[in-house]
Amino acid sequence: MLRFEATKVILRHAADRPIVSNLGPTTDELWHSGHRDRNFYTYGSMGLCSSIALGMALSTSEQVISLDGDGSLLMNLGTIATIGREQPKNLIVVVWDNEEWGQTGHQPSHTARGTDLAQVARSCGIPRTATVRDLEALEEVFSTALRQEGPWLIVAKIQEAEYLPVAPIEPEITLYRFRNSFSRPVTSKPGGGS
Amino acid sequence: MIAYVPDISIHQVTRLIETDPFFHLVSATREEEAIGIAVGAYAAGRNSAVFMQSSGFGNSVNALASLCIPCRAPIPLFINLRGGPGEFNIAQVAMGRTTRPILDLLGLVHFTLEDEYKMDKVVDGALKLCHANRQPVAICLTQLLHGGKIA
Repeated sequence: MLRFEATKVILRHAADRPIVSNLGPTTDELWHSGHRDRNFYTYGSMGLCSSIALGMALSTSEQVISLDGDGSLLMNLGTIATIGREQPKNLIVVVWDNEEWGQTGHQPSHTARGTDLAQVARSCGIPRTATVRDLEALEEVFSTALRQEGPWLIVAKIQEAEYLPVAPIEPEITLYRFRNSFSRPVTSKPGGGS
Repeated sequence: MIAYVPDISIHQVTRLIETDPFFHLVSATREEEAIGIAVGAYAAGRNSAVFMQSSGFGNSVNALASLCIPCRAPIPLFINLRGGPGEFNIAQVAMGRTTRPILDLLGLVHFTLEDEYKMDKVVDGALKLCHANRQPVAICLTQLLHGGKIA
């Protein structure tokens, strides 16, 4: 399964739900799949994609989707434990698992040598997990995740492909646009709402 | 939302926060994770802050440099600054002493509290500045202020 095709599947089902994307190709492919206000692209801070999504999930009643990567999540496995501790029902973590550090020379990651991130998640109190290897299985489990309370962690095994052009986006604009897309409590106005 | 890594010097504060329904206290496993969680909360329309020790500040420099600063995320950081007068642990000195110089190199504003004098004004003003500038601001809490961890 190619990540770009898999990203399109996620977008097709995500409707207007917020999506956080891991740095590098995941962010670029999300942009190329469909730029929207509810895309929170990350550009750095490797490892923090699902932590950012967790902070969002704890702050909104909407379902929040994290598009993370195996190498990145391995950098911050503690956040799986924090997700297990907080139990946000509205968080769906999808891990694009290519079993390698693609951008640094295709070195095999720990998931190529036995680390099972879905099992890590279950050990941390996230019972809803799945490992999928093709688009049909991804579509099925992701649709289920949208209907059933989480937190979810879905490991999607993918193959690396040619990288798409870097998405022409600015971090500052991303945060501003994304935050504005949430309805915030109305600041009190004399007379109320007039 | 307050995302934090537990610290004895602010234990009494976090206990109060925990029982106050205004706040949502989230315990992270590591300080950079706390920053990620805080930025996520802010992105979803909520205000947030992070509590950490200066040792944990060392764990979170890249989160500030490559997430908060480029995104302009106004996250107030309350840092228990180790390595000052009374420090007993050699392992806390280097990170404690370099925390503020690193903040300077990152271009982040910071204030240091050594006693309660004007504390409310400094904290209130720091939070206003943080949101006006849309960048993190650090409020460094010293051992002289809270008396914590002095042998």
